[in-house]
Amino acid sequence: MTSQTEQAGALARRIEEQLNQVLVGQPAITRQVLIALITGGHVLIEGVPGLGKTLLARSLARVLELDFQRIQFTPDLMPSDVTGHALFDSQSGDFRVRKGPAFTNLLLADEINRAPAKTQAALLEVMQERQITIEGESFPLAPPFVVLATQNPLDQEGTYPLPEAELDRFLFKILIDYPDQEHESRMVEMVLDGRLPDSLDAAQLTPVTDAAGILELTRSAEQVLIDPAIVDYLLRLVRATREHPSLIQGGSPRASIALARTAKTQALLSGRDFVVPDDVKAVAAPVLRHRLRLGVDAELEGQTVESVLAQLLEQVEAPRQ
Amino acid sequence: MDLNKLNARLAPRSCWQAMDMGTRLYRHWWRSAALVWLVFTGLPFVALAGLASAGQSVWPMLLFWWLKPLWERPLLAFYSRALFGDYPSPWALLKGFRQYGLNGLLGQLTWRRLSPARGMLTGVWQLEGNRGDAASGRIAVLLRAPGQRPATLTLTVLTLEHLMTVALILLAITLAPWQFHLEFSVWFGEQSRLHWALGNLFWYLVLTVTEPLYVATSFALYLNQRTHLEGWDLQLGLTRIGKRRATLGLSRGAGALALMVLCLAGLPAPGNADQPDSKQQAVELLASDTFTPMELREERRLKEQFRDNDGDSWWRDLLQRLIDGQEENAGRDPLSLPEGLIHAVGWTLLVALLAVIVWALLRRLPGSPIRRRPTAMPVQVAGLDTRAENLPTDLAGALDEALRRGQVREALALLLRDTLVTFFRQHPTPLTPGATEQDCLRAYRRLLGDTPAVAYLDRLTEAWTRTAWAHRPTTPEQVQALYDQWRELRPAEGKA
Repeated sequence: MTSQTEQAGALARRIEEQLNQVLVGQPAITRQVLIALITGGHVLIEGVPGLGKTLLARSLARVLELDFQRIQFTPDLMPSDVTGHALFDSQSGDFRVRKGPAFTNLLLADEINRAPAKTQAALLEVMQERQITIEGESFPLAPPFVVLATQNPLDQEGTYPLPEAELDRFLFKILIDYPDQEHESRMVEMVLDGRLPDSLDAAQLTPVTDAAGILELTRSAEQVLIDPAIVDYLLRLVRATREHPSLIQGGSPRASIALARTAKTQALLSGRDFVVPDDVKAVAAPVLRHRLRLGVDAELEGQTVESVLAQLLEQVEAPRQ
Repeated sequence: MDLNKLNARLAPRSCWQAMDMGTRLYRHWWRSAALVWLVFTGLPFVALAGLASAGQSVWPMLLFWWLKPLWERPLLAFYSRALFGDYPSPWALLKGFRQYGLNGLLGQLTWRRLSPARGMLTGVWQLEGNRGDAASGRIAVLLRAPGQRPATLTLTVLTLEHLMTVALILLAITLAPWQFHLEFSVWFGEQSRLHWALGNLFWYLVLTVTEPLYVATSFALYLNQRTHLEGWDLQLGLTRIGKRRATLGLSRGAGALALMVLCLAGLPAPGNADQPDSKQQAVELLASDTFTPMELREERRLKEQFRDNDGDSWWRDLLQRLIDGQEENAGRDPLSLPEGLIHAVGWTLLVALLAVIVWALLRRLPGSPIRRRPTAMPVQVAGLDTRAENLPTDLAGALDEALRRGQVREALALLLRDTLVTFFRQHPTPLTPGATEQDCLRAYRRLLGDTPAVAYLDRLTEAWTRTAWAHRPTTPEQVQALYDQWRELRPAEGKA
């Protein structure tokens, strides 16, 4: 392994350690968020309130010294509240652009599924284009630009599900669940002892790197070797989702690309400069779960997207050398 | 009520998908639903069918048909609770009938009886507890667009019900021995009490299938319409319904059941005490000059047709021979088989049936030897051919040959294949075609712990992973060293 890859891997693991200090008992979540950040993709986090989603975003911004903004999505939020707007300046007699909260590195779009489709679409356009157009003028966003969107489970009241085409733009969909009893007990003890703040204050964390460091990690991840047999494996996996009888919508080509890129980052975070099939398996669920749609029959039979994915990972033959 | 226990996902669907969901609900709980139907309708049917057969009257069965909304109430109560993971017993439903079964029933049995949307709207009274104007307003809301086509469903199930009944009657006519005199023309001509009883029984059997199906599909339409109209409020509404169901009193229905049993005990049994009359009637009918069974008429028509046709063809000859054969056998008694043979066949079937039941029970017993099936090694694991028969008999020779040719990857693959196959033979564990090298390693580490054999598999997997995926070939010396270690471990692997 090259020293550059070693250094990158070590740096990524230091970031992970810092994040795990505040997000107790959710190492898989911090790993997946970090993979998305390094890969340059956006993340959709689904979970009930109170599981530390906002704390995770704030901690990430603190550890990486990134600019951070948060938007609480509500039913009356307008697209201009996200992107910004042109304002008439009476002193200069001209229009002045007031940039919205989307002009940042790390944007926490809280409860994205509470906003109407028009506002969701405005944000998703920013995510795709990585630039914002106000009054005909385009403003590119400074890299890295990552959106951490959170949403409540869809069976809660007053929510609007995101359309499939828009869901496809998220690199990962991460399901955040309650920590187990041991970790929750540890968390309570840490808060009572004052070792963990009982607020969203991430000031106690030590910055590990900055935006340039993240871009360097991205470049290192791109250098990770992926064997053609593994590319073939992940393609077979995605194609199998299109042919599975329980699914009425399988993974798109964008899903295949996302799977390959995130597998490389996963390998980097595991201290390797080459991808193994297990890296693909590790990222398959967060990459694919929001891109697949279960048929009515399968739903009624009690299947879930997760169970179908688990079945596919068991049945699609591992790559052959 | 715990919404997490919901057995189906509520989502806005087309009415056809909703009906499909209903059929799936039925398929899922058909045994329980049929039991509920039989418990509630068994005695009333026996009583009314007895009356119908005794008096050869259609009115008792018409009454049974008219009371369908009453019979459907327990089924709806069952489905509405089963959907939330609560499976009430028929007795619990019987006891709580007054709580859920009476609201709006009078209307459904009178001026609303012929409403084609009956099934879908029952929930308005039974599940939501609406009365009077509130119920009428609610019905108007439920019948708004998007329409769920409840009338189509009612007509479809009604048609299915009648087709199945006629099909069962035809099946009986076809299969019953001639001594029973169940010919087609007799059935639809002068019917005996046996015919009445059988016809009603067949109809009831069909209802045992179609009524639970109709209620399930109607309930699915009702849920779908509420999902369309109210969105997420549906879940809260069902929560309230479930809570109301949970507070049902369990004592008030017992008296009604006892009263029903006592009343029905006084009615004549649906037996065939007058069977000699019907038999005599049928024999006389058959012997009469004017009567000609349809089969004979058809046979004569075919014969005349053959005589009229000049041309020859193989199929006509074949048909002719068949008809002639039937004529030759007509005089024989179709049931003149040796009694011993019939007994032997009967006992064989009985023993076979018992054997199947015992085998099925044994399979379900935990730890049963029948249950245990040998775990099969997949044809391919970690992308490698793991069929034992495809491994070389002389592993050392094959390895030397691969190394001599400079095929280090091939040599490592051979070594890994042999190791995996040997591990599997010694310690069968479920492996899937999608298992990777690391999956195998994890599986054996879980199974065996940190034994020398597992440590060796770890080293071998590491070497293979670097060679295969990192493109950093292991040296021939390292492969040889790994093989030497394997030779030392292999005899002892059983102790691993």
